[in-house]
Amino acid sequence: MDVLLNFGLAVLGVVVGIIFGAIPGMTATMAVAVFLPLTYAFDLVPALFLLLGLYVGGISGGLIPAILINIPGTPSSVCTGFDGHPMARRGEGERALKIGITSSLIGGLMSLLVLALLTPPLARLAIKFSAVEKFLIILFAMTVIAALSKGSMTKGVFAGFLGVLLALIGEFTNNNKMRMVPDMFKMQLRGGFELLPVLIGLFAIAQMFQEAEKGMKSTNLNEGVDVSNAVKFSLKDFKGQGVNLVRSGLLGTLMGILPGVGGSAASLIAYSQAKSWSKHPEKLGTGAIEGLVASETSNNGLTGGALVPLLSLGIPGDSTTAVLIGAFMLQGIQVGPLFIQQNPATWNWILLALLLCNILMFVLMFFPIKHIAKIVNIKSCRLYPVIVLMCIVGAYAIRSGNMFDVWSLLIFGILAYVFGKIGLPTAPFLIGFILGGDLEKYFMSAMNGNDYNLLCFFQRPIALVIWVLIIGFLGYAIWDNSKGKRMEKAGMKD
Amino acid sequence: MKRIISILLAVMLTLGMVMSASASVYEGGRVRIVIGSTSVSGDSYMVAETVNQYLQKYLNCNSKVDAVGANEALSTIATAKNDGLTLMIFHDMTYLGVLFETYDEMYALENMVVGPRVGQNPGSCFAAKADTPYADMKEMADYLRDNPDATARVAVEAGGVSHIGFVAYYMWVKDTYGEDVSKRVKIVLGGSTDEKLQLLWDGNCDVIFADYSSLLQYTQEGVDAQLAVKFVGMLDHIPGIDGLPVLGDLGVTLGGEPFYFSKDFLMYLPKDTAPEVIAELDAAMAQVAADPDFQAKMSELTYAPNVLDSAAANEFIYGKRDGIATLIQTAPSFDELMDQ
Repeated sequence: MDVLLNFGLAVLGVVVGIIFGAIPGMTATMAVAVFLPLTYAFDLVPALFLLLGLYVGGISGGLIPAILINIPGTPSSVCTGFDGHPMARRGEGERALKIGITSSLIGGLMSLLVLALLTPPLARLAIKFSAVEKFLIILFAMTVIAALSKGSMTKGVFAGFLGVLLALIGEFTNNNKMRMVPDMFKMQLRGGFELLPVLIGLFAIAQMFQEAEKGMKSTNLNEGVDVSNAVKFSLKDFKGQGVNLVRSGLLGTLMGILPGVGGSAASLIAYSQAKSWSKHPEKLGTGAIEGLVASETSNNGLTGGALVPLLSLGIPGDSTTAVLIGAFMLQGIQVGPLFIQQNPATWNWILLALLLCNILMFVLMFFPIKHIAKIVNIKSCRLYPVIVLMCIVGAYAIRSGNMFDVWSLLIFGILAYVFGKIGLPTAPFLIGFILGGDLEKYFMSAMNGNDYNLLCFFQRPIALVIWVLIIGFLGYAIWDNSKGKRMEKAGMKD
Repeated sequence: MKRIISILLAVMLTLGMVMSASASVYEGGRVRIVIGSTSVSGDSYMVAETVNQYLQKYLNCNSKVDAVGANEALSTIATAKNDGLTLMIFHDMTYLGVLFETYDEMYALENMVVGPRVGQNPGSCFAAKADTPYADMKEMADYLRDNPDATARVAVEAGGVSHIGFVAYYMWVKDTYGEDVSKRVKIVLGGSTDEKLQLLWDGNCDVIFADYSSLLQYTQEGVDAQLAVKFVGMLDHIPGIDGLPVLGDLGVTLGGEPFYFSKDFLMYLPKDTAPEVIAELDAAMAQVAADPDFQAKMSELTYAPNVLDSAAANEFIYGKRDGIATLIQTAPSFDELMDQ
């Protein structure tokens, strides 16, 4: 009976999680938080099956809107749309979704393996990453801006810094003083603009404006595409992706292990690495499998990774695992350095639940997805009003019914529309916005802890390794950018 | 016949009025309880959710705790209908935000209705790495006095309970040991407990401010030396737990009196909420407080189920606020403490 209950709760969790992940504005964290009080009625083990199902489903569901309508369902699926959506536009939506789902499964299982075998040593490694290293990792994630701005590096970098600037609006926690906030918005903007309305506004609302301008007569497919001739999914799609899968899965897991470094940073770093190691970097962003695989493997790799510090140090690896602590506490169980040693049975149940939820996520998404993929065949004039409605509901729900977030959605939609008109790229702006807050937080924390001495960023061995990676990647991006420009010029002369 | 019908209608109307007059506001209603934290693992959520589980039983209502954060919670109470169906459960940050000028006067206690106190968390504490050369915060001051080159970096947050705990200790060190010692008790800005722990493990601070229950696991035997911590200064006594260094017992005073500080969790309702609503909450909380399961659950979480009715809670929280206001006025600001 217990087995059936656990299985049923895992199915429920995964299905609801996928729905939360797929609706723009709703996240895995929200799903877990909403269901947390329900776990009061259960013992810890069934509660974990439900909550881990919500977690895995929520992280995975974000790929659906990212691929089909170019709206990331969650911040960690921002990069999924870069290549997934162009594939959908050329009639390969089902294939892109299946590649994404399979990559998610592989990422999830890799991180589970790491969690099961390497938790204690990895926890010790996580402690060595202080604010200095975390600041540099966030900086490293920001280098993806350079990779995405090929051909218009200045504009990309400008948009990225603009994003960072807007991320700093709100209260400065060092002294609780407000920054860049007019008095009349003091309460609404104390914590700055919420990420999800910004994200949905930039991607969804701006796209609606652009489509409205064109007339919305067509579907989301490129003109002249015949879906019946489109390439179908096959496991051969993963040929040559072995290294990418392992690298992205491990990067996602590593980012999960480091508390405070979120899923979006994991996906951004994996994407930029896939681009820099690709034999055809110019194809990333145009519907290349590599980009899709990197993003989805890494963001699901995060799931097991984020549980490593939670279960071995008592520190959550990401925002969703921070909510999971609540479930343990409601049951009177402390997660921390002695958790695995003192609760071996619970530990085994967690591993089993995570394995089951990953498999369920795959089964429940992979087979019915061909029906969902048909969304791209619906005419924009019918599809977009529904999407706008969902976006507004999502934005309104983020802070339990706050109208200011709906206005933020609209403001950032208009901003991205204007960006499009003046040729500023939106993706670097969003990346700057996502990472800006953490960039400042870890910079200030590193400075506070090191007597405001800037040399602290150059004195630790791990920090030096990250500097080498940053400089190496930036050098490559600048070289690649100038090579692209030279080729463009040569092409124009021809 | 008409007369009989008229009498029947009049009786029914009177009965209806009597019944509605005595009807509960909460019976079968939907109640939203906002809390001033977005975390669902901190004491704000744990206290509110535990109270909620029992309160809905005695009020016979459908209530839900909404972890919206301080900003949203205060805004909600400032703008919600005063029908009693929206209420806030929050600790001392309710008035501290206004005292530290983080929030406008419109969010002051005077602009809301104070309901019953639902519990206390006496577990706020300072902790240091297990191998630190002092056993408590008094010994820490002695250590600084005896070692003129030594400093003690304490991780706290600006404008919160940790700020109060720190300035109370700082002022006592300044008065007792002199400025030469107090200026070497330095502030390191910390965030959540996780972030402060990482500062401690990383050697970027010497003492952190956190909650007893969140640190207990790191004080147990068998914990890796790098992670092990010890309590060096509790802000109050936790019932049933002895042998911990409590600042008030160590001689730390505030205004000449021993310094003890528990976080008090109270219900707050929108301004002009009817006294009958508050009376209903008082009655329900009295039943909750008498429930042995509630007492056991709160104790298990190391919280004290010390419930006060709204009249007593009102007097108590205003008095507490005034005492803290005096401390804030006399103590250096957070910026000054950071710069020293």
